Amino acid sequence: MRMEMWREILDPDFLLRNSVYMSVLVGLACPLVGTYLLLRRLIFMGVALPHISSCGIAFAFAFHTWGLIPHMEEGEHTLALAGSTIFTLGAILGFSWFEKRGRSLIEASIGTAYVLAGAWSILLLVKNPHGEHGLLDRLKGEIIAVSNASLGWTFVVFAIVALTFFIFQKEFLLVSFDRETAVTLKKNVDFWNTFLFLLIGLTISVSVLSVGPLVTFGFLLLPPLIAHGFASNMRQFIWGATAIGGVSALVGFYIAYRWDLPVGPTDVALLGVVYVLSTIVNRSIALRPATAHKSSP
Amino acid sequence: MTGDSLLTLDQVAVGYGRHAVLSDVNLTLPRGSFSGLLGANGSGKSTLIKSILGILPPLTGRVEFASEAGRAPALGYVPQRDVFDPVYLLSSFEVVLMGTCGRVRPGRRIDAAEKEWARQCLREAGAEQLSEQMFAQLSGGQKQRVLIARALATKPDFLLLDEPTAGIDATARQSIMDVLREIHARQRLTILMASHDLLVVRTYVEHVIWLHQGRIQQGPVSQLLTPANIEEILDLEMH
Repeated sequence: MRMEMWREILDPDFLLRNSVYMSVLVGLACPLVGTYLLLRRLIFMGVALPHISSCGIAFAFAFHTWGLIPHMEEGEHTLALAGSTIFTLGAILGFSWFEKRGRSLIEASIGTAYVLAGAWSILLLVKNPHGEHGLLDRLKGEIIAVSNASLGWTFVVFAIVALTFFIFQKEFLLVSFDRETAVTLKKNVDFWNTFLFLLIGLTISVSVLSVGPLVTFGFLLLPPLIAHGFASNMRQFIWGATAIGGVSALVGFYIAYRWDLPVGPTDVALLGVVYVLSTIVNRSIALRPATAHKSSP
Repeated sequence: MTGDSLLTLDQVAVGYGRHAVLSDVNLTLPRGSFSGLLGANGSGKSTLIKSILGILPPLTGRVEFASEAGRAPALGYVPQRDVFDPVYLLSSFEVVLMGTCGRVRPGRRIDAAEKEWARQCLREAGAEQLSEQMFAQLSGGQKQRVLIARALATKPDFLLLDEPTAGIDATARQSIMDVLREIHARQRLTILMASHDLLVVRTYVEHVIWLHQGRIQQGPVSQLLTPANIEEILDLEMH
């Protein structure tokens, strides 16, 4: 790796510094909430929600073009944020309602929402020349033009999400691990589940707005999967996933900048390589004779 | 509610959706008793336990607890051990700590006193040496001990267990039942244990609630588990 290039990327006066910060923020926040999607076996929800979020952005642009939403100063970003948030939170509340009523129902509803969101996004994109440019960039995972305001908002939202996860980890873990016992302990399981899903939804909608659905899903899924292979407790799992996400985002940005590639797909491809390598290492450790790798007495 | 009963079920129907698994259930559970809920697989034992615990609201009727020192009794629950997903990287100690969550306010850390209580519960359940081991990697019998410790960590007035001896070997089964018997003898805790294991129920419990063909019979082991009834139970198991 070229040190000068690292220095350039990390320089506070670097032209694309906001893109670097945004990548790292998404890389830190998405794996944090992704760990709960993995624990609750809701990976498919992690695929569907970013697409639903994109669909919300497409609808918002379409409504604006058709004159159903008045013109706004600060227009595009606010519009996209509103569409993304409304659709994601609406979907997540629906999914949490379905989850209470059985696994087969929730899988069917997530699958349906995923395919419909994908179809509507494309239809609206094709018929909306104004929204096409911005939305296409998001779908491709281009993280180039990030305003200070957008970066600031994203930081505030992710900081609140991370802090909330840290404060209420005990409750989120209890209702996720053993819902029935949580009921017997007089915990309001529906409230904690909905709260957890809302935090996940908020993170996803803000992330999709910044980096698009592909990158969001990549960071939701791959860092937790990598970390789970090596972690020996929940703390290592959660913070390990977050660290892997953050570091991968930074290294991914370097690779993209160095070879002139789109940042988002580069991040995801890098995570894929790390995942494959980590799986090989894990398997080889598992195949070694038991006595060779037991560290405990 | 009768004088010294902890739990009364009055005209209760339990089930899923609109489908009643058991209906017209009337029973009382004496305070400090060790009762076995006996019945074949699919007879509604787990459903009844979940309805008593409030996990599954009864379709009709009343589930009523006598108050303990002016408050609702604390419930300790030992679910079937195969409901837990091994993806959670939790140590046995962390699983037991969950039992203290009912007393710790949301957002607060679990304090040192509660942690010490959790360790004591592990000792009582004979699982102290499992404390640092991953819960998902324990054997069936070891998991049951940890789950019993977690239920004790709730400081329960009423302990409910769902098939605690299912699918484990005879030695582990005996040792788990010995732990339960000791806990009952020492604390005079009210215990209700769902089981399809006739031998366990006959050997360890005082009262039997027998679910049979949608009906419920209740009484002391000596009265209810007569040779004729046992023959009928065994015949059911054979078929």
